[in-house]
Amino acid sequence: MKKVLNRPENFVDEMMDGIIAAYGDRVQLLNGDKRVLLSKYPAPEGKVGIVTAGGSGHLPVFLGYVGDGLLDGCAVGNVFASPSAQKMADMIKACDRGRGVLCLYGNYGGDNMNFDMACETVEMEDDIQTKTVRVKDDVASAPPENKDKRRGVAGMVYAFKVAGAAAKEGRDLAGVAAAAQKALDHTRTMGVAMSPCIVPEVGKPTFSIGENEIEIGMGIHGEPGIEVREMMTADAIADLLLDKVFADMPVEKGGKVSVMVNGLGATPKEELLIVYRRIAQVLSEKGITPMMPHVGEFATSMEMAGLSVTVMHLDEELEALMRAPATSPFYTNENI
Amino acid sequence: MANAQSLRRGMKEIARVMAENRQYLIELDQRNGDGDLGISMSDGYAAAALALDSTEEKDLGKLMLAAGKAFNEAAPSSLGTITSLGMMGMAKALKGLEEMDAAQLAQAFTQGVERIMERAGSKPGEKTILDALDPAAAALRNHAAEGLLPALQAAQVAAAQGAENTANMRAVHGRAAYYGDQTLGLIDGGAEVGRLIFEALVAAASEG
Repeated sequence: MKKVLNRPENFVDEMMDGIIAAYGDRVQLLNGDKRVLLSKYPAPEGKVGIVTAGGSGHLPVFLGYVGDGLLDGCAVGNVFASPSAQKMADMIKACDRGRGVLCLYGNYGGDNMNFDMACETVEMEDDIQTKTVRVKDDVASAPPENKDKRRGVAGMVYAFKVAGAAAKEGRDLAGVAAAAQKALDHTRTMGVAMSPCIVPEVGKPTFSIGENEIEIGMGIHGEPGIEVREMMTADAIADLLLDKVFADMPVEKGGKVSVMVNGLGATPKEELLIVYRRIAQVLSEKGITPMMPHVGEFATSMEMAGLSVTVMHLDEELEALMRAPATSPFYTNENI
Repeated sequence: MANAQSLRRGMKEIARVMAENRQYLIELDQRNGDGDLGISMSDGYAAAALALDSTEEKDLGKLMLAAGKAFNEAAPSSLGTITSLGMMGMAKALKGLEEMDAAQLAQAFTQGVERIMERAGSKPGEKTILDALDPAAAALRNHAAEGLLPALQAAQVAAAQGAENTANMRAVHGRAAYYGDQTLGLIDGGAEVGRLIFEALVAAASEG
């Protein structure tokens, strides 16, 4: 497998160097640390900080959402591995403006334990208030009765957007955390994968998908999905994913939604648009209004082929928070 | 009695054993995980041993805290973080002590294991490192009166038995959980790490 690399062990450092070379006017490293990225966009005095963290290999998640009306900071680890608690603690300290920091991240064992340690450290050593909201939007990863075990995937982008807008409005820490939680309570994701991804330091795929097969519900680190099927048409994929999402989170006739069709890394935007087209048809049949479409790559898994569909069920508050302007080097809702 | 020097020797021996078993642990983990177990354990224990070597500190609690922090910095994977949580739990129990006897070690180790259960939200029987560490902690407590080396030897036997028992368990945590029944018959990589820890500690204590 060909990968554009220098040395596999420098993958994350050199990617970080690239971000600074390209966007150093808008984001910066924390004291030169190539694992912690901070926003340079001006922020209102006393704005509640919002941070995230997770493994590398998912751009634009997580680093790409450090920006205006979004996140204040992001710590990353090696590919698919959590950063350390110390790096998270350093980041939380750098992002506190005296009104506390929301830790908003995907529900994975390593990230959970490290963030818990980091929050404990900053509360003890620096008296910084923190709150934690974990993203658990992946319907495929556990049945409804085990919702708390679900993984966080592309739906976290909606949570970043909503929480970022709430913080910029001047809400307090509890208010920002409540907005993030509300966004997530109204958001579900379901994905399919068609080819594996390669962790640079491993150098070969850690799992395989048959030539004419598609894996329903595969996780963004290659976690096994719920079933393997024969490859199907774009419309069949769209129907299947939307069915699974609505089975878990019904949306009433007349309801409003924002739908994200997210490419996992190797699926072209043309194909994502073909899927969105079908979703728009189905929504129209159901009497549901789609708005603020997100079609493109928002949360990837290296060179994995496949896509995920995320639905956010909007109410007035969520719609307003989604519409508030947000910009980062990787994301803007200006043209959405 | 064990002191800072014994702690350094023990950690160094664990690091050596993990480096020696790096490839074995990688292969064990690849069957239903992502294969980083051998890397994170050898990197983590090497960093912890280095942290102990680069300080004159004598307080066993402060030493374990330094080891735990260094471990987490070097290996923040799931099992790596669990390991550092355990070390930090031990650190709390050992704070203020420059020497410990077998009973104090048993007590500290038990607190480390309890901290892991609390923070990771897991318990023995779920095919994890706890299936080796928890019986080892019980053996340490039960044999503490016999002295350090006999207590560690009893813990080694208990940890090895515990690791072997994981072959009869279904994984419920982490990536392995998605494989459910397919994990039956396989020894858990984390539990093997638990066995190796006590193998190393017995070797270190026998020398000293």
